[in-house]
Amino acid sequence: MNAPEPNFHGIAPRTGELARIVRVNEEIKAIVATAFRINLMALNAIFLAKRAGNAALGFGVLSNELRRFAQDLTRHMASLREMTSGSVGSVTGVVQQQRIAAILAEALRLSGDGVPGAREARRRGATRLAEQQVRLRSLDLRLRAAVEETQQLVELGGVLARSAKIEAAYGGSFSAALMQVSTDFAEVIAQIKRSLEVLGKERLVKD
Amino acid sequence: MKQAHCIYQDEDHRWLAIARDTTKPGYIIDTNEYVVIHGEEALLCDPGGIEIFPSVFSALSAECDPTRLAGIFASHQDPDIISSLALWLEFKPDLKCYTSWLWQSFLPHFGGQDSTFVPIPDSGVTIRLDGLELQAIPAHYLHSSGNFHLYDPKAKILFSGDVGAALLPADHNELYVQDFSRHIRHAEGFHKRWMGSDRAKRDWCERVSRLEIDMLVPQHGAIYQGADVQRFINWFAALEVGVLRS
Repeated sequence: MNAPEPNFHGIAPRTGELARIVRVNEEIKAIVATAFRINLMALNAIFLAKRAGNAALGFGVLSNELRRFAQDLTRHMASLREMTSGSVGSVTGVVQQQRIAAILAEALRLSGDGVPGAREARRRGATRLAEQQVRLRSLDLRLRAAVEETQQLVELGGVLARSAKIEAAYGGSFSAALMQVSTDFAEVIAQIKRSLEVLGKERLVKD
Repeated sequence: MKQAHCIYQDEDHRWLAIARDTTKPGYIIDTNEYVVIHGEEALLCDPGGIEIFPSVFSALSAECDPTRLAGIFASHQDPDIISSLALWLEFKPDLKCYTSWLWQSFLPHFGGQDSTFVPIPDSGVTIRLDGLELQAIPAHYLHSSGNFHLYDPKAKILFSGDVGAALLPADHNELYVQDFSRHIRHAEGFHKRWMGSDRAKRDWCERVSRLEIDMLVPQHGAIYQGADVQRFINWFAALEVGVLRS
């Protein structure tokens, strides 16, 4: 008989789950960085609206709302981040269990049928793996729900950015500057939307 | 593929050597695993690394019911000694792992829980295996700072971990040392480099010289038996250790 291969069957593809978490984390980090930018942009917009006076009262109100939006978004992303950090432990558990199960299966195969205790060991391993996968699926569902909730929040941000653009048109001599700021808002929010779409497609576990 | 060889048998008391794996990948150091069987229980000495687990498990299963394994003796903490721990526990979750107290909180990185480990104090301990008394003999700093060997007074076998180890060329597949002076050349560099303390070495030589030993079974290389046991102890006592090069 040949020596067992150093990497046992079925192990490599499963490590993709950790890679997926890394991708999810990276998207979350990108959105957090962008939310921080909106916060600063909104602060600048508030000062600009103040300088513009009565002509930019509506723009000022919207800038305040955008700032609140950025703060809410940051909170959402922090809770998403917490969820993915927790899932690293769960995914690692699954990957480790799968690796152990694969090596043990190879050992039992080499030992031939009827090794005492083999059936119990397989059943124990399968139960443990199933429990870990249930935990991971539930985390995945929570993560998806949280991403959907964030997507709704960002829709509101998009509406605010569009309204700011309209208000900018009434900004008198400050109109061009306000228009530039509101365009920047819209672009940044579109960027967040794209990141959330990517995030929404990621799954911690395969369906 | 590894095979289990019975190196001692007296009724229901046996020692198996799982040795000489000629088909394992060349980048993994060859290791010997030993199983002490007495009555209804078995103890596995230095079960080896993760990568060789299937081969060790199947060799053991061919000669002994693996559900009879009551414990694992880990001479020290190295990966080629005990990194397969999680796999053995996957097969038998209530296995006990006897190891130096020093490694009690390190070995769980390979697997196991608090209840898995039975810490051995520096002075050694008696390990009971279905009525048989095995002695964990201190071998600290040879090479690990928390290191034990296992002595079976009934079989007169000393499992000596890395002491006595030889890094044999691929074509030297003998289970027992055939020609001491030829064999020891393959052990010299290893002992000079890996055994770091001359004082610890002298203490060990004195300690084991008081034991009745028919076989000295190391974790790498061939088994010393008969007069070669004392030859090895004398050779080791005279060897300059803790040196990079001779």
